[in-house]
Amino acid sequence: MAINSHYHHTSDQLNEELVIIEAAKINPERFGPLYNKYYKQIFNYVYQRSEDKDTAFDLTGQVFLKALTNLNNYQFKGVPFASWLYRIAHNELMQMFRTLKDKRSINADIGDLRFICQETEEPFFEEYIPAIKQLLLQLNSDDLQMVELRFFEKRPFKEIADILDITEVNAKVRMYRIIEKLKKSLNKLKM
Amino acid sequence: MTPKFNIDRPRISDEEIDKHKDFNQLIKKFKQQSLQKAKLDKSWWKSKKVRYTSVIAGITVICTITYLTILNSEKHQNITNENITTQNTEQNVTNNLQEIQGAKDQTAFVNAPSKKITVSYSSYKVNNAKGGEIKHTTASRVKISNNSFVDKNGKNIVGDVTIEYREFHDKGDIIASGIPMAYDSAGKKYNLESAGMFDIKGSQNGEPVFIKPGKDLKIELASANDEDRFNQYYLDTIERNWKYIKKDIINSNKSDRSLKEHSVSANQQNKNSTSQKIEKLKNEVEIVIPRKIDSVKNVYTKKADALPKAKEPAKPKKSTGRPTFKIDASTNDFPELAAFDNAVFEVGGENTNYTKDMHEITWNDVKITQGPQKGVNYLLTLTYHKRIEKLIMYPVLNGADFEKALKKYEQKFDVYQGLVEKREADEKRLMAEMEAKQKIYLAELQKKKDEYAKEKSLLEAKMQAQETNGLANNFSNMSNQNRATRIFNVTNFGVYNSDCPHSIPQQGKSVTPIFVLSVNDKPLFPDIIYLVDHNQNMVFNYAQADFSKIKYNSTGINSFVVFIKNKMYLCNKNAFKLTANNSSNIFTVTELPETADNLIDFKKALEI
Repeated sequence: MAINSHYHHTSDQLNEELVIIEAAKINPERFGPLYNKYYKQIFNYVYQRSEDKDTAFDLTGQVFLKALTNLNNYQFKGVPFASWLYRIAHNELMQMFRTLKDKRSINADIGDLRFICQETEEPFFEEYIPAIKQLLLQLNSDDLQMVELRFFEKRPFKEIADILDITEVNAKVRMYRIIEKLKKSLNKLKM
Repeated sequence: MTPKFNIDRPRISDEEIDKHKDFNQLIKKFKQQSLQKAKLDKSWWKSKKVRYTSVIAGITVICTITYLTILNSEKHQNITNENITTQNTEQNVTNNLQEIQGAKDQTAFVNAPSKKITVSYSSYKVNNAKGGEIKHTTASRVKISNNSFVDKNGKNIVGDVTIEYREFHDKGDIIASGIPMAYDSAGKKYNLESAGMFDIKGSQNGEPVFIKPGKDLKIELASANDEDRFNQYYLDTIERNWKYIKKDIINSNKSDRSLKEHSVSANQQNKNSTSQKIEKLKNEVEIVIPRKIDSVKNVYTKKADALPKAKEPAKPKKSTGRPTFKIDASTNDFPELAAFDNAVFEVGGENTNYTKDMHEITWNDVKITQGPQKGVNYLLTLTYHKRIEKLIMYPVLNGADFEKALKKYEQKFDVYQGLVEKREADEKRLMAEMEAKQKIYLAELQKKKDEYAKEKSLLEAKMQAQETNGLANNFSNMSNQNRATRIFNVTNFGVYNSDCPHSIPQQGKSVTPIFVLSVNDKPLFPDIIYLVDHNQNMVFNYAQADFSKIKYNSTGINSFVVFIKNKMYLCNKNAFKLTANNSSNIFTVTELPETADNLIDFKKALEI
């Protein structure tokens, strides 16, 4: 699986972000470079989980507004600023889904479903698609989120761990368990 | 509710995402939110002080608004009552009032980034009845026909009109002027490349005057560029945009070499030698001479301290009849007692613990030390097993011993007094010597101060003249081969430009620059950034909200000038190239030294 490498930052890039964050804490108008850098990423993250694009645009704006409002509470942990934005986005999404459940959607490509089968060492046939969808919908929300982050968005474990605020090992263990669970269920499909 | 599961849902295009990206809107919302939060903060409102202050402030605002409304209506009444001669003049007055308003707004729209680098106005007087021709230092000409100027009421000006005029020719001038070079034509953004720009205004006794409707000033702007691809624009400070006037009218004038040649290097040398002299004088006034004055004081203070100090002899005291103790006090420990032969120690009246039996006890230990008043009394400590008694004692003499000691004292006191008088005389003499020497230095200091002030004002005058000449010379050297004259017909005072609009580079390399100081790698947060395109006579300026929109031509030669609170920092051509070649966005800048506080040095630093 080709994992997206955009998350990786050099120490120069991290320092550069830190300089902007410190400046923006004093003058919010200096937040511009981070807004421009991450707007698309955050929108895509939100849109992947939302039913319509207008809601996604609104929510993305809300994420950045919240980030700017709470910027003084931000603490640098040696990871890209994006992880903090993703966490805000995740919380905003969860809050919205609690009240507007119909706004939640799962979005994947056929390639992503094929990839799940590969990972579970099961063959993939197009007629399996409805059943795989059903399987995924039966997952609890935490497991479904892991599947989205890893299989649909191809994020490295380090990034998943930073977004969910867990350790990288923990993320890998959880993923392993999900794969085992899916394996069993997919096996049943063949019967 | 079970979430929807979409397979292969179309993605949103980057263009659509970019359309929704609006940082200014975010900042606006953030400010509104902060404001609301402040309003909702009850604890803030609970403060009586705040409440009372708010009430007072509210009343003040209402009173001010009422007063201004009344004042305004009175003014309006006055204007309507005035006799305005023609419809044209009336229109002109309206236009002129708009111009005045525009000039007020100009402070924000035209915003010079630094007070240190300014393009000064040249001032000329023209008699309105006669008209005249102004020959500017750059060989530009302003031709004024008679009766071209009216006042705000449309009446002909009587007497002389002051014309203030300045030109901007290169990138340094453009940056110093603070005039924005961005141009919006029907929503499409351009940046203007200039072939010469000027700013003209008129006044009489400090009051603005206006060009009479139907009249115009013919301005022949000397330009370093003889290409005919330029248009004429007027800076509309009300609309906050350039207004297209017409295609440029150009007279190629290659044979015109009449400009006076100035020697910049000679001027520079002259400036340097004068500056050195001033620095030397400043050093003498602030450091060398004050140090000499201090040094004299130190020398004489030491001399006075070294004068022999006489010690006042101790006066013998006669016994009062109170009980005494005979103690062998060591004269090594108490040399003042040496003067008193056969002295005994009398028990002081303050000792309430004294009892007669103290004389009958054979004490284990007897100690005498200095008392509360040094040289006057002593502390006697008597110890008998666990009993400890402390008495304050006074050395006294009895009968003949006292008389003898008194005589001795009087002799010693005479000697002492003589020594004191001598010391006082010596001190007085030293003081007089010190003052005499200091007086010489103070006179020298005053002389140097006067010289310093004189040289400083001379240098300032020289520098101002040099700057005017130097700028003309700079222009003259800019491109003698391409000299041309561009003809403008000016019907309103203001800023005019001979420009060629260029599209904002879409293919350029985007960068959100981070500026660090070359000396310590400390990051800087600029107030404004100028991107200088050295391939063309173009300067792009960016305010803070636009720092992420910077694009530069990666194959061209560029530099950055950034301003932070009137301080100038430069990322020169080489430093820029180095960063661009490394595909980095960290640009190393150097602060322009305090000495580079004029336009000529600024341009040199900018390598133009």
